[in-house]
Amino acid sequence: MKMPITLRINGEDYDITVEGRTRLLDAIREQCELTGAKEGCSTGDCGACTVLLDGKPITSCMCFAVTALGKEITTIEGLARNGELTTVQQAFIDRGGLQCGICTPGMILSATALLEETPHPTKDEIRFALAGNLCRCTGYQKIIESVVAASEAAK
Amino acid sequence: MVTTLGEHVIGQRIPRVDALEKVTGRAKYTSDMKLPGMLYGVFLRSPYAHAIIKRIDTSKAEALPGVRAVITQASLAGRVAKIVDEAHGTSIDFQAFADNKVKYQGEKIAAIAATSKEVAEEAAKLIEVEYEVLPAVVDPREAIKTDAPVIHDADKPYKAADGRLLSNTHHSTDGVTGDVEQGFAQSDQIFEDTYVVPRAHQSYIEPQVAIADVSPDGKVTCWTSTQGIFSVRNNIARCLDIPQHKVNVIGMTIGGGFGAKFGGVVDTYAVLLAQATGRPVKVLYNREEEFLDGRPAPGLVITIKTGVRKDGKIIARKAMALWDCGVQGSGSWATARIRGVYDIPNVEYHGYDVVTNKPPTGAYRAPGGPQCSFASEAQLNKIARSLGIDPVDFRLLNMREGPEVDFKATLQAVAEKVGWYNRGKGANEGWGVAVGEWTNGAGAAGAVCTLQDDGSIKVFSGLMDITGTDTAMAQIAAEVSGASIEKVTVVRGDTNSVPIAPGSGGSQITFSMGNAVSRAAKEVRDRILEVASDMLEARPDDLEVGNDKVAVKGAPDRAITLADVAKKAQRTTGGPISGKGSFAQQPSATTIAAQIVKVSVDTDTGKVTVRRVAESLDCGKAINPMAVEGQMEGGSAQGIGWGLWEQMVYAPDGRNLNAGFLDYHLPTSMDLPDIEIALVEVATLNGPFGAKGVGEPPITPGIAAVQEAINDAVAIELHEVPFIPERVRASLKAK
Repeated sequence: MKMPITLRINGEDYDITVEGRTRLLDAIREQCELTGAKEGCSTGDCGACTVLLDGKPITSCMCFAVTALGKEITTIEGLARNGELTTVQQAFIDRGGLQCGICTPGMILSATALLEETPHPTKDEIRFALAGNLCRCTGYQKIIESVVAASEAAK
Repeated sequence: MVTTLGEHVIGQRIPRVDALEKVTGRAKYTSDMKLPGMLYGVFLRSPYAHAIIKRIDTSKAEALPGVRAVITQASLAGRVAKIVDEAHGTSIDFQAFADNKVKYQGEKIAAIAATSKEVAEEAAKLIEVEYEVLPAVVDPREAIKTDAPVIHDADKPYKAADGRLLSNTHHSTDGVTGDVEQGFAQSDQIFEDTYVVPRAHQSYIEPQVAIADVSPDGKVTCWTSTQGIFSVRNNIARCLDIPQHKVNVIGMTIGGGFGAKFGGVVDTYAVLLAQATGRPVKVLYNREEEFLDGRPAPGLVITIKTGVRKDGKIIARKAMALWDCGVQGSGSWATARIRGVYDIPNVEYHGYDVVTNKPPTGAYRAPGGPQCSFASEAQLNKIARSLGIDPVDFRLLNMREGPEVDFKATLQAVAEKVGWYNRGKGANEGWGVAVGEWTNGAGAAGAVCTLQDDGSIKVFSGLMDITGTDTAMAQIAAEVSGASIEKVTVVRGDTNSVPIAPGSGGSQITFSMGNAVSRAAKEVRDRILEVASDMLEARPDDLEVGNDKVAVKGAPDRAITLADVAKKAQRTTGGPISGKGSFAQQPSATTIAAQIVKVSVDTDTGKVTVRRVAESLDCGKAINPMAVEGQMEGGSAQGIGWGLWEQMVYAPDGRNLNAGFLDYHLPTSMDLPDIEIALVEVATLNGPFGAKGVGEPPITPGIAAVQEAINDAVAIELHEVPFIPERVRASLKAK
């Protein structure tokens, strides 16, 4: 059975139709047509589907769209304002924190959430915060360096 | 001689040209595309690893509302429909779907296209299949036995080099240099060891995906995640008997491949469903399907016998290898890796490709390299220890020397990075060193470079960028043409529009496409000089190009911009300025990656923690050092991952027991320390600016490096990969 709901994503209201079983990831990608969040594993293990729910990173493949009602969802598309990148996004570009890019939206969102809470994290704190985002290309080295650079740029 | 104005772009840490679209979520991967009227394709797969199919009934599935096509091997009767996959010279050729027999869990039995994924999945459940289950065989050591179940009915026992008859084997690779028996007779000590490496999955985070559309006149368009648009085009053409010129492949942004995305897994099926329905069809694997029916790396069981002189010189080496290839595929040619980069006068190897009830084998970054180099290097570490020689010195003593390579300098670079000769360790800590080699391939490549009238340069080719090669091509084009890097755009075309491009694999792109782009850019530069010499009234030899300008040497005020040159050219008899470059085959030089790892071992739990990782690589010339480091860091993580955590686990009945990322353990950010890098640059003759291929060597030494580090820490020599806590504990207990 389909029902109309409103999801608030990146500060905008999206009026869409979902079923009870529709995953938040599918609602975001299909109905809202925001394809930055990716599906890598469908079991909440890889983090490619990461979005922020009231500022906290979650795996959107593992929750139903209806559970996000009334919450602020942030996707990768919502970070840059008027074409101006955030310090985290710019740091990933400058430091080579990405290769194929499939993990990058989720990785950037997790890093963004971390720096909101802990503006100057240690490397161990960064590694811990990103442990739910798998990357197969980089060995994480330049991802960590990018987050460190972003935290220093914000000083 | 023409010199360059301004700073060189080659060797600079230029950010990836596609970084902006990736950090903003604008990069378009195949699954981000939706076409009007698009249908969704799913597969019905065998739950059994080995069974006879007695009956397939698709009628209920076909009747389900929303289903537009159901295809089985029987429904394709009279058509050419097979999967042909040319990997390293062996051709894999099998039916698109199983009909009489299934030979691995997950094998495709039918494909369904429907208006939604949910409907297609419902339909798959409605297909009735009657099986007669057969015993399965998963270990290659069991599969070769005379009483083993025979998987391919046509296979006859295969005669091995030692006279034994091997079941489930129909291909081998053998090599002989010198006389190993004589070599063993001359040796002071002989070592014989057996090593076991499991299958590993490339585990690219973006699953295999293709969207296909077929027009009424039979023309095929395929959008797909691939490392090689021409491989996919040729695959579709060959598999389905469609003329090549009627197939157009468009490569989308690719979310990782590591060797597995050259076609034949999903694209053929998307085309079949598009043909059957007359609508675009998307076929997208889920993660479980990747493990059940991807193209993972083969497993290896290898026995190596090595003879050495007491001064440490290796005299002879002999190996017998069984490669666990699943139902199709080959790994035996990689048995040659036992020679490594060492000067060994007597080498003999026999590698056998063994068939097991598992998915077909594919290529995973330096195919066969991590497995065989592990065994080779692990035994060399054991030998060094036994002879009381430092393992770095032992390798230096035996390494080959030659033009275009400096293996010794590379090994010394990583040793220096960690202060090897002064290294310290605490309780239950240890260090391991290992080396792996790979020689980059070379493939047919064409590129076109054009100078636009605003002075910008377009580089046009069919290159699929996985490692940052688009950026390297931009740097090469900028350096050679004289445009600034900001004015260079790399444009990727489809198979209809571009000259042939080699697939992005085999570490061949910088070498092959780099040369093609360099030649194209040189034609552009030659034309620029011709036009400019006229405009500046100077000889071409007296001119300098760079930074978007052409100037007379020693007279910087006598300068014009490339835009001026372009506009003038459009009015001269020569016409607009463009250049083309072609490259086919040139000999390449071997590259090695040397790695040192420090670990600590928890003797209660058996857990191994990686404390330090350093890797060096001789890359010839680092066109973009940031990108080269990225390859080394990623490859290091994959090698260590295979050594410590990754394995595809099978039950005796052939079921895959860890078909997902929860139980197939990929390294996370918490599993690795900082990865330290050292680059050695020994220019090659044939690479652009002396560059060598760098994509593959970094994965090759990791397994052996961690194995020796564990041994150095707690004195256990593990021969079965990965070195998971259970194995470490068991080995500690057995001491």
